[in-house]
Amino acid sequence: MKETAVTIIENLRNGSVDIEDYVFKKIDIIRKKDIVINAYISIDSEDFILERINEIKRNMVSGINMKIPGIVVSIKDNISTNFLPTTAGSKILENYVPPYNATVVEKILKEGGIIIGKTNLDEFAMGSTTEFSAYGLTRNPWDITRVPGGSSGGSAASLAYGSCDLSLGSDTGGSVRLPASYTATVGLKPTYGTVSRYGLIPYANSLEQISPMARSVKDLALIWDVIKGYDEKDATSVNYDFKTINNKTINNKFKICVPNEFIEDSEQPIKSTIYKLLEKIENEGIDIEYEGRFEKLKYALPTYYTIAFAEAASNLARYDGKLYPVSSEGFSYKEMSENTRRHNFGLEVKKRILMGVLALSEGFINDYYIAATKGRRIIRDEILNMTKHCIIASSVSPILPPKIGERIKDPLKLYAMDIYTVVANLAGVPALAMPAGFYNNLPVGIQFMAGPFEEEKLLALGSFIEEKTGLYNLIAGD
Amino acid sequence: MKYKIGLEIHTQLTEAGTKLFCDCDSNYRKYETNTNICPVCLGLPGALPVPRRNPLKLALLVSKSFDCQIPEYMVFTRKHYFYPDLPKNYQITQYEKAGGIPVCLKGILKYFDPDHLTWKNVTLRRMNIEEDPGKTEYSEGNIILSEYAYLDYNRSGVPLLEVVTEPEIPTPRDARKAVEYLLLTMEYIGAINPRLEGSFRVDANVSVEEGERVEVKNIGSTLDLEKALKYEIFRQSKIVEEGGKIKRETRHWDSIRGVTKPLRSKEMEEEYLYFPDPDIPAIKTEQLLKEAMSNNFMTPETIMNRITMYGVSQRIAWSLITVKPAAELFLESVRIGSDPKITARILAIDYKGLLKKSGKNIYEKSNWPNKQVLKLLSSLVSSKSYTYDELKYNILPKLLDNNYMDLVLPEKVEPTNLIISVINEEKKAVEDFISGKKEALDYLVGKVLKKAKGKAIDPKTIRKMIEMALAKH
Repeated sequence: MKETAVTIIENLRNGSVDIEDYVFKKIDIIRKKDIVINAYISIDSEDFILERINEIKRNMVSGINMKIPGIVVSIKDNISTNFLPTTAGSKILENYVPPYNATVVEKILKEGGIIIGKTNLDEFAMGSTTEFSAYGLTRNPWDITRVPGGSSGGSAASLAYGSCDLSLGSDTGGSVRLPASYTATVGLKPTYGTVSRYGLIPYANSLEQISPMARSVKDLALIWDVIKGYDEKDATSVNYDFKTINNKTINNKFKICVPNEFIEDSEQPIKSTIYKLLEKIENEGIDIEYEGRFEKLKYALPTYYTIAFAEAASNLARYDGKLYPVSSEGFSYKEMSENTRRHNFGLEVKKRILMGVLALSEGFINDYYIAATKGRRIIRDEILNMTKHCIIASSVSPILPPKIGERIKDPLKLYAMDIYTVVANLAGVPALAMPAGFYNNLPVGIQFMAGPFEEEKLLALGSFIEEKTGLYNLIAGD
Repeated sequence: MKYKIGLEIHTQLTEAGTKLFCDCDSNYRKYETNTNICPVCLGLPGALPVPRRNPLKLALLVSKSFDCQIPEYMVFTRKHYFYPDLPKNYQITQYEKAGGIPVCLKGILKYFDPDHLTWKNVTLRRMNIEEDPGKTEYSEGNIILSEYAYLDYNRSGVPLLEVVTEPEIPTPRDARKAVEYLLLTMEYIGAINPRLEGSFRVDANVSVEEGERVEVKNIGSTLDLEKALKYEIFRQSKIVEEGGKIKRETRHWDSIRGVTKPLRSKEMEEEYLYFPDPDIPAIKTEQLLKEAMSNNFMTPETIMNRITMYGVSQRIAWSLITVKPAAELFLESVRIGSDPKITARILAIDYKGLLKKSGKNIYEKSNWPNKQVLKLLSSLVSSKSYTYDELKYNILPKLLDNNYMDLVLPEKVEPTNLIISVINEEKKAVEDFISGKKEALDYLVGKVLKKAKGKAIDPKTIRKMIEMALAKH
């Protein structure tokens, strides 16, 4: 029996494992390995962690029911914490400690989670490789010459080398699913509105969700259960009553479809790994349909990037040196804000702001932003239709984890990595990425996309599959 | 020379209780610098705007009062410009293009013209709800001399209702009266206290015949609005008469010097990058409006109709309406049986005058007597126990000090004997009067009043009686 967050909680509860010993083992792992991997931007002080452990012990003694007592959680550094700086991977937010906690952070604390540190990301979550961070790139624990995917690469790597049990990332266009597939971990992009965005430093508000990550689907279900739910602090939050699905009844309930476009243009190793897994699932009695088409996929990337850049340009306007610790000097407000932005935004962020401004400008808005919102509606409607009768299976990324430096030289190649993942964000539907297998010791992932609020269906399917494949709780270098 | 006036009135919903998207206080004036703030109105990354119901309901009520077309949904948009007092560097507003939908699409501002005692109309183009920015203060009072600027975000996020009229207002006086009526309506709805400093600002646009549109910004009072428009019409007419052309520009009203000054010429439309705010889903108006209407609300017009129904003249009714506590008190006391005309006269003229003279705030409800006292007072006159002037001179002043006390009514006095004794004592004054010095009469009246101290006496009657007595001499 492999050790998962589920089994650890049991051991911590019955006292066979001491919380303090357990947590400090994780800290030792971070100390040994993070010098190379660089999954974390900041880590809690030992005193802070001890205090937290004592608080959880006291709560346990007084019989307070907690869902994840003593479980070690890492959190992407674009999710606000009032006890650790929240930089969004940008120099412009260096040393910024928010005066408040994100709703998801409050929930994790309440349920006994130990937030051990904040993980690295592409600056403002803009990237697919975690190479665009002002705090250095993150390496893939399975092969340190390769990227862990992005933008939640820090979260994925922190799980993959065993420094924590659960993690929170954010997913704007695949930002937890892509890193999950590159690091043999799992990531769930929930239905838009099911997890509060309050406290998430925005990149593209209409697309993104705070998204859980773990080393197994069963663990993922744990943290999903903690963070989901309506929040009055987020006007886009929705109230939905989720019903758990028993994965024993799975065979006759699920139909999977694999539209050609969602897999055919992937590299050969990806395709063969996924097809092999699908065959295995089919042999377990799940109905798989290969005939479907999704011809509009070719519009997904331009649609996605136009909307994302427009919203980003707007969201990033506030960083002008007046309210946050980083500020460059100038003889006027205009000069000060220009200097602050010139010196403290990275190149990729600047590019995206410029393209976003263009997309919203008089004379261009109809051809870009407005056209993209129309395209989005078309894609969404088609996905909603398809997911009514099947779960869509696809590649997560068209390629294996690239070498460091390989993709960021060419923005179009970089953006193309997101082709299979952006669809779920455009449509607002849930999507799960999980291990499908390995190719030359490199992880390959598979994505399952379902209809709105069908997270429980995805989790049941994922849990069923991981039981059959045994591909869970995989730690690099074990 | 013909001209056209249009207005953009920015009114703060000072009485909303909350800011537009968070629970900080809508009336920021009483706070220390940067203490009426939270992550939302500071625009901190990750903090999200959640529209508060009360400001929206108030805006809907104002829209309803002016016969607006209220759309099924409202949609907020972002308007981008870099400015120190704008925390996010975008303002959340309701621009109609680029996907926004404002609270009111078209309406009619029907306002009362007290000079001519008539109702007039001006078409409203739209109303939109938006957030107020913070404030920039300079160490030396202005941007040029100051080394530092201080930012205060207490005002940031306060709900504003922007009201835009068509350019069809006939005169500067009408512009003033229309704005005053708008503010009064909003006061009755409970949306604004227009007497709070900075609670509204007006931008006016004026174009004289064949000239381009000139916008005058930063007008902070309705009196200044009239002045600024008169000045601007004069300035533009003069240029045209001298053969010049009016260029499109934005000017600034300098209320101290009483002139408009050029601010910038609008060569290019500014680029605001409007688009719908993705943090705020479209808001259905029907339910909100229903909730808002469930509390009976009154507009100055409905109150005017009620008051005049009691036989009170429009002029006196208007005088009551402009002071909300007086109008409300009038309605309350006639409902329990006060005589309408006497009550109106007490409230609209004499008691209001007494309050003003004594420096008391006429807009403060507690400075007015209660409805029971008013009922008693009006009955004294209607039952002919006292004349109105006896009431005015002997009873009302006493109310000023304690408007809820049990009134001790002054004793009535038969003045004939008092007059006779004064005439006998004041020989010199009597002679002066007979020889034509009119002021001597005032002196004699004063002497009689002095003798009658504490008793109910009516100076006008006394005056007449002295005149009659002396005419016999």
